[in-house]
Amino acid sequence: MEEIRIVNVSKDFDGFMAVDGVNLTIKPGELFSFLGPSGCGKTTLLRMIAGFETPLNGKIFIGDQDIVELPPYKRPVNTIFQNYSLFPHMTVWDNVAFGLKVRKTPLPEIKERVSEMLNLVKMDDQHSKYPDQISGGQKQRVAIARALINNPKVLLLDEPLAALDLKLRQHMLIELMNIHDAVGITFIYVTHDQSEAMSISDRVAVMNRGKIVQEGPPDDIYERPSSIFSAYFIGETNLITGEVIGIEDEYVQLKCPMGNGEFFEIDSTFHFRPEIGSQITVSLRPEKIAISRHKPKVADDMNVVKGVIEDILYLGSHTQYIVTVGKNNFRVFDQHKRVYFDDTALDWEEEVWLFWHDTDSWLIDELPPEDRMPAEGKSHLSKIKKQSSVSGEQI
Amino acid sequence: MKRFSRAKFFKGMNLTVFTFAMLFLYIPILILVIYSFNDARIVTSWKGFTLKYYGQLFRNVAIRQAFLNTMLIAVLSTVISTLLGLLTALGLENKKLKGRKGFMGLLYAPLVMPDILMGVSLALLFNFLRVNTGMWTVLIAHVTFCVSYTVIVIQSRLEGFDNSLIEAAMDLGAKPSTTFFKVKLPLIMPGVIAAALLSFTLSIDDFIITFFTSGRGFDTLPIYVEGTIRRGTITTINALSTLVIGLTLLLVVFTKRIRKSLISSF
Amino acid sequence: MKNSVKSNKLDYLLAAPTLIWLTIFFLVPYLIVLIYGFLTPDIFDVKFEFNLDAYRQLLDGTYFRPFLLSVRLAITTTLLCILIAYPVAYLIARASDKVKNTLLILIIIPFWTNLIIRIFSWRIFLSYNGVMNNILMRIGLISQPLEIMRTDLAVIMVMVYVYLPYMILPLYSVLEKLDFTLLQAAMDLGATEVKAFFKITLPLSLEGIFAGVLLVFIPSLGTYLIPQLVGDQRSLYVGQVITYKIKNIPRNWPMASALSFGLLVLVAFFLLLGYILLRKSKVRGVV
Repeated sequence: MEEIRIVNVSKDFDGFMAVDGVNLTIKPGELFSFLGPSGCGKTTLLRMIAGFETPLNGKIFIGDQDIVELPPYKRPVNTIFQNYSLFPHMTVWDNVAFGLKVRKTPLPEIKERVSEMLNLVKMDDQHSKYPDQISGGQKQRVAIARALINNPKVLLLDEPLAALDLKLRQHMLIELMNIHDAVGITFIYVTHDQSEAMSISDRVAVMNRGKIVQEGPPDDIYERPSSIFSAYFIGETNLITGEVIGIEDEYVQLKCPMGNGEFFEIDSTFHFRPEIGSQITVSLRPEKIAISRHKPKVADDMNVVKGVIEDILYLGSHTQYIVTVGKNNFRVFDQHKRVYFDDTALDWEEEVWLFWHDTDSWLIDELPPEDRMPAEGKSHLSKIKKQSSVSGEQI
Repeated sequence: MKRFSRAKFFKGMNLTVFTFAMLFLYIPILILVIYSFNDARIVTSWKGFTLKYYGQLFRNVAIRQAFLNTMLIAVLSTVISTLLGLLTALGLENKKLKGRKGFMGLLYAPLVMPDILMGVSLALLFNFLRVNTGMWTVLIAHVTFCVSYTVIVIQSRLEGFDNSLIEAAMDLGAKPSTTFFKVKLPLIMPGVIAAALLSFTLSIDDFIITFFTSGRGFDTLPIYVEGTIRRGTITTINALSTLVIGLTLLLVVFTKRIRKSLISSF
Repeated sequence: MKNSVKSNKLDYLLAAPTLIWLTIFFLVPYLIVLIYGFLTPDIFDVKFEFNLDAYRQLLDGTYFRPFLLSVRLAITTTLLCILIAYPVAYLIARASDKVKNTLLILIIIPFWTNLIIRIFSWRIFLSYNGVMNNILMRIGLISQPLEIMRTDLAVIMVMVYVYLPYMILPLYSVLEKLDFTLLQAAMDLGATEVKAFFKITLPLSLEGIFAGVLLVFIPSLGTYLIPQLVGDQRSLYVGQVITYKIKNIPRNWPMASALSFGLLVLVAFFLLLGYILLRKSKVRGVV
């Protein structure tokens, strides 16, 4: 088992930097995801590992070997393509056997390995069918078998579930994880779907504009986003800006303008020491906020803010509230457990209290850009806007 | 009610025109076939069933020679123009090729020129070069008018080609040559066959260009038939035509896939 | 970068044989046609002496009539083909898949049958004591055989017969892709069938009509064989005149060259006209 090292790799298309100086180390046996919006360079990076694109500069190592100069057919990697790319003129069996046949493997061995592989992906009873005779999920399995039979050191998966419907996608996701456990090789998984990346990966690299914005385990990226882009791209969040007015041992104090000349104050734990007087952003996930029509008994380490409900969206597993606090809009996810205070439902225009623990927020040393949109997250944001007409300082 | 009946009227009109068109297309051929079995010297009325014209046909040395010539030219020009067409279509897949547009223009030009112009210009070229006309000049002429068709038919097949299949093959360890012969060629084969069939048909069908580029002593069937019609001895031609029509029928009915790609190349 | 340069080279190499072939056997011959037009005719050949006679005759109206006849024939043939082909193509396009295939085969069989044989069959059909006259007399429609063979009418009939499939197939392939729910939408919005046809179907099938016209009109301009075999020998078409000048003795190759050049210019003119019309209809957003 060898690790993969991507060293300062760049790629341009007619002057446009699709991948821009990426450095990355992927550990042996890891299930690693490239996550980002379309055009962020994730697929280009994958294709450079596969050998379909040549980097402008940089090196890609598998173990000690730089593979940049190798043509695709000499690389110890195999790819699962977005549309599976099964050969339509060959049966399932011939598709799976293709890699061994072109390497002139003896027929008895081919037969044995193919049936072994078809067994692994539960397609042994379909071996004589043609690709247009099997379903999308089955094509996916054949594609996996066809790739894994070559004993690659790395399996590359390019948005492998994009063509499947939701239920099948969830099912295949689990199956992919099982296959990963069974074969134990490194998987590199490219997706634009954050929930896919979160649920399947050991580690994730969030990409934007050809660069890696953040890399780490999924929970780490979710709980501790290093930039406004990661905070927005993964999950949903409230961004609150304010002035640092005090720093204690464990938390900073922020003074946040409400737009009407008044302020509210909040505390947050911190992982770097901001300067007093500087402007800073706090990321606060909507599900961390509690909502109530009664003022909670305040504990020292709780933030409490008063606002008015502007919008209510019933979403099944939870309800989303938009609560205005001055010019700030807070998105709050409230699960339907009526254990607090009283059990009559909250209503539009109602005054409510929002409260959360100091340790539930996360400081980002970055201010939301002037146009109030993280560059690549626009589509993501406009979706939010349509849903809830959020406006104000947070966005 | 009124709307309904009007829709019906339109359908009825279409059907009428269709029936008329079918009669128009088939009655002359049908009569030709029937009369090839008619025991009469001139085509007036039915005088009884006979196969004697078929006998005459098979004993006719000139027809046999013309048939062999036609086949020779058709096979050779099909092979050459299909091969040229395949190579060119593959080369022109590269959309970034400099001068591609000009080349495409040159490929399309023969398609929009009346055949007679190609015939005259080739006749004058061969005269200018003092080449004796015969089999070779006819072959050259046939390749010239077939090659544009083969390129375009194969191109239309390549257009729908999913390039990720090439990447998949290479990814699985196939060298470029293996990839071409095991994946790409088999997948564009219907287009190649359609192109070959089209150029074969064009070749055996051609009269005018052959007329200008063949010399004395090298007749293809259309040239021979035209000469015979002019001289007036047409009874064997009925039989010959019937055979050709029969062959065409067989070809059309039994080549479903090719027919499909022929239609889609329009 | 390195890679693409290499593959460009290979692609040029692949395309080169055809490029060279067409240059030598398609482009250069036209150059020779151009040169031969300015030479002096000889009984069997040409003399390489400069001579303007051929172009003088081309321009002074001596050969005006064959050109006129050819253009007239091409226009008539094309119009008749559109009129017949449109309903046929429409019917096929709207038929169920199974019927559609059968109908298509029916259209393709004549298309694949040898041209000269098809023309020949019409000679039998149309001749003075031929089948059509026989039938018409037997059912009492006429008392004397019609003399259709060797008339302009015969030429037009056979032309339409030969070129009809070339109009039906492109029209069909456009109509087949047409979204017929658009018609329902139009009628839902209150358009009658007639209006829906002229506002929706016809504009959307213009591209097919243009393709068909290209396939029918241009070859019709240079037709030789059909008027030669069924036409009136007193009204000669351009194709026939050119062929006679090349084949008949005394030969007049400079004249044939000049006439060919004239035909080429005519073709170029109509192609340009078609191109402009197509562009215009596209600009108007019709296609």
